[in-house]
Amino acid sequence: MERVATAVSLQQVIPDHQLNEWEHEELIEQLAAYDEQLERAVLAQIAVIWPVSHALCFAFLEQLHNGLRCLETKELAEWVKGILHAYEADGLRAARLYMADVENNFLCPRRGESGLTFAEAQGRLVPYIRGISGRGLQLEVSAAAATDTSTIFLPRDVRFYRDHTGNFQVYKLLATYQWAFISQDLYCQNHAQSAAIHFPGGRQQSREGDSDDILVRFFSIFPHQQLAQDIYHLLQTLRVSLFMQQEYPGLMRDLGPFFALLLENRPDLQRLAGIDYQLEKIRQWLLGQLSGEKASALGGDPQLRNIVAAAWNGRADNGDIFMATRGFYDAFCHDKPAYEPLQPLFFQGEFRPREAHRARLARRESNRQKFIEALAAILPPQAAAEAAEAEKEPKQPVANVVENGANVTPAQHHATNQAEPDPQSAEEPRFICLDDAQLELPEELRELAREIEEDLGSLPSFYISSASQRAGGQSRSPLKGPQQEEGEGLQGGLLYDEWDFRRQGFRKNWCRLHRKQLHAVKGTFVSSTLEKYRGQIMQLKRQFEMMRTQHLFIGRQRDGEDVDLDALTEAYADIRAGLVPSDRLFVRLQRDQRDIAALFLVDMSSSTEGWVGTALKESLVLLSEALDSLGDRYAIYGFSGMRRTRSEIYHIKEFTEPYSDEIRGRIAAIAPVDYTRMGPPIRHFTGVLSKVEAKVRLLIILTDGKPEDYDDYKGEYAIEDTRHALIEAKNAGIHPFCITIDREAQDYMGHMFGEINYTFINDVRKLPLRVPEIYRLLTS
Amino acid sequence: MQSQKIEEHFITEKPFYLPQKNELAVALAAYGNGLPLLLKGPTGSGKTRFMQFLAWTVKRPLITVSCHDDLSTSDLVGRYLIRGGETFWLDGPMTLAVRYGAICYLDEVVEARKDTTVVIHPLADDRRQLAIEKRGELLTAPREFMLAVSYNPGYQSVLKDMKQSTRQRFVALELNYPPPELERDIIRHEAGIEEPLAHSLVRIAAMTRGLKDSGLQEGASTRLLVHAGLLIREGIPPREACHVTITEALTDDHELVGAIDEMISSVI
Repeated sequence: MERVATAVSLQQVIPDHQLNEWEHEELIEQLAAYDEQLERAVLAQIAVIWPVSHALCFAFLEQLHNGLRCLETKELAEWVKGILHAYEADGLRAARLYMADVENNFLCPRRGESGLTFAEAQGRLVPYIRGISGRGLQLEVSAAAATDTSTIFLPRDVRFYRDHTGNFQVYKLLATYQWAFISQDLYCQNHAQSAAIHFPGGRQQSREGDSDDILVRFFSIFPHQQLAQDIYHLLQTLRVSLFMQQEYPGLMRDLGPFFALLLENRPDLQRLAGIDYQLEKIRQWLLGQLSGEKASALGGDPQLRNIVAAAWNGRADNGDIFMATRGFYDAFCHDKPAYEPLQPLFFQGEFRPREAHRARLARRESNRQKFIEALAAILPPQAAAEAAEAEKEPKQPVANVVENGANVTPAQHHATNQAEPDPQSAEEPRFICLDDAQLELPEELRELAREIEEDLGSLPSFYISSASQRAGGQSRSPLKGPQQEEGEGLQGGLLYDEWDFRRQGFRKNWCRLHRKQLHAVKGTFVSSTLEKYRGQIMQLKRQFEMMRTQHLFIGRQRDGEDVDLDALTEAYADIRAGLVPSDRLFVRLQRDQRDIAALFLVDMSSSTEGWVGTALKESLVLLSEALDSLGDRYAIYGFSGMRRTRSEIYHIKEFTEPYSDEIRGRIAAIAPVDYTRMGPPIRHFTGVLSKVEAKVRLLIILTDGKPEDYDDYKGEYAIEDTRHALIEAKNAGIHPFCITIDREAQDYMGHMFGEINYTFINDVRKLPLRVPEIYRLLTS
Repeated sequence: MQSQKIEEHFITEKPFYLPQKNELAVALAAYGNGLPLLLKGPTGSGKTRFMQFLAWTVKRPLITVSCHDDLSTSDLVGRYLIRGGETFWLDGPMTLAVRYGAICYLDEVVEARKDTTVVIHPLADDRRQLAIEKRGELLTAPREFMLAVSYNPGYQSVLKDMKQSTRQRFVALELNYPPPELERDIIRHEAGIEEPLAHSLVRIAAMTRGLKDSGLQEGASTRLLVHAGLLIREGIPPREACHVTITEALTDDHELVGAIDEMISSVI
């Protein structure tokens, strides 16, 4: 095909200004090399990928040549679906991996040769594991099952059975086992328990009482560390299996045949010798126990029987496993034996102490930040300021955690860093003492404090002093007072105040808000969304139509279509009783009882790039379709901006505009821009909404995380300003509601949205359907 | 049509209720001082049962009105009706309760229209009066009368929020799901099942209650667990019983249904 024609068709899927000149050149060159049919097919796929991610699109074009070697043109669309799926689930890297191996990742599953993939299982597994654990655990793909105690890793696919049901059960078993390892503290992360473990040959515990590396210290006493780890992991698996049988009897019963299957496939014991023989004996004994057949006996070796009994008794703790590991090693491994590890039990997964340690440190850091932020938020500013002041006099105790019970652990005193004036010790902190005032910790903070103590053994005092410093408004570098900034000269736009929580007042005319138009783009986004959710949209429309017709007849009206029999009877009775009868005797068909005006404010910050942004747009399409059938008045605006002088709102749909192709095009044109300064747009639309005549005025904000701008608008300042703007909206008689998309619930949310309602969605795939659902619940 | 007989509203047998904390003491103190009571809590957490227990404790009849959006003032206060060419007055439940010093319990009060709930205002402050306009009668509630309302703060609908002028008249008690041991005893007693099964049901409920962030609006209530227990006692296989009473009652979402069923099959 001619290059000019190619350029024209390319422009229809990617607007020229989104490409560099050389990118443009290269792309046209690549496309022009294909025949007409293929070029059209490729262009159609570019149109699908480009709006999701530009980087992915370039990666796709890179790999395309490779892929076309084993793909037919008509298979291209399916392949791209797979790529997008990999991208949406695990990001660009996963998508690249997916593209690199067309045969295994795409063609095999198409021929029905694969078992159940993680992607297929996770929709059900994620809520399952969160339900049984009660924690926001993440699930991720990895080479084998494992956990770092924050994330559970599962294999990419499971192929034990032909049917999905059986394979899903195996996934479920793997995930549940990893959760059991976490809850039974496989990696010895509970400070108090680990501190109580003593093992012979261990080096002197460090003065700090640092238990972080208790596993490292333990394994270092063995000449053959890998072997010791394998023994330890296997014995822990024994202990955890018994726990599983007690806690999840249904699961373990269902999987009995699976354990029997694993047992069949274990190597023949007769051919093994030495440690391999002993370890394998334990494995097969365990499988026998779990499969319910008890075929394999432990044999007569009393040492082996004692070791197994030490782990398999329901009361065993980590200390017992340490002992048993040691016992096993001493009994069967002389010095440094030759050791070729046999395959471990499938469901025990991999032992990854280093990753677990890293995750623990990451969690410790994030808990520290969360704790300080959350505590600072509840400390009364004055008391905090005094406390921060007092901090400078070393003798005076500043803040003290008071124990719930009388259980004081003096051991912590020497463990506390000398620099801090006040040692902390607490079992379950419920109160914090600031000078004379006692401050009760709210539930979440107590939970956080408990977690920190579990990890560190005590709540470090500097956590509290940092919090009081922060609350007192001292020593905070990024949040220093107003700064002069460049770009002050930007003129035009509307001026809005901004709330400064430190001075408990507004910065006058601080932000300049500009209105911008979004130009509708043509493309397949809307039509493919409508196609993708066709079934759900029909359902949504039906649900929304039902809301429209809900309160159709209203009784006791002065005039109307029909007589209200109830009212008439009553009036007649009143006449007979000698009373003046009511003149409200009719029922009327009420058409517009839903007097609701809703304004949707969509976050267009750069962090929405990729799948979040696409899901946001999809939800707007679904919502518009649903609202159109309902007849509620609604408007849609986007917001973003950079610095206080350039806060921007993007006009997508006004209240008075009908939902049209033009509007659909504008929704498709929504793209990530800059930062998230939430205050000015909220204040602007509070003004807009309060002028709208409606019984109920809703301001629904869709966002993907913390408010943040390029300048000093971040952290606490941004949260406080946003919170204040939302309270202002509420006081103006508007119902603000936030829908926020994040991986897990963040502590600031409760504070920022505390005064109003909000919901948070952690599964972005659910967003498009959840948004109309939330709207429906809100207004019925 | 007959006026409801007040005698029918007496609770003759002691209802089964295990206190969660100090709710009985608070309610009795409110009762003694003529203060109205507001019960907050998720569905199936024992609000209605608590009211029955309270009524039984103070030996007063309990008149329950389930509120809905078509409930008019005359549905609460009463109306004239005709029989044989003559009119007669029929007391509504509220009037009945005031006349005889009963406990009047408006269940799910936010479901009623706001103009209807306004009639309770004079009853809910220190006037303790109910005006029956049609009869020109002004009733003053006797000491034994108590007004109680309940609502579920879990619904986030902006249309169903309680007006401040209404809610600020009440002594508010929050009745959440009971703690695990207590809930286990409740289910054991109510459904007549063995302790291990009751324990498993409580664990399942706790798991579903943690799913709020995954799209479940509310977790399994104590009432659902009792239902599950009853079906199991009747011989329905446990997993099936839990599926029909818990899973399907909680959600229509395909994946969540699957996930909850998996939790059930892990535990039972």
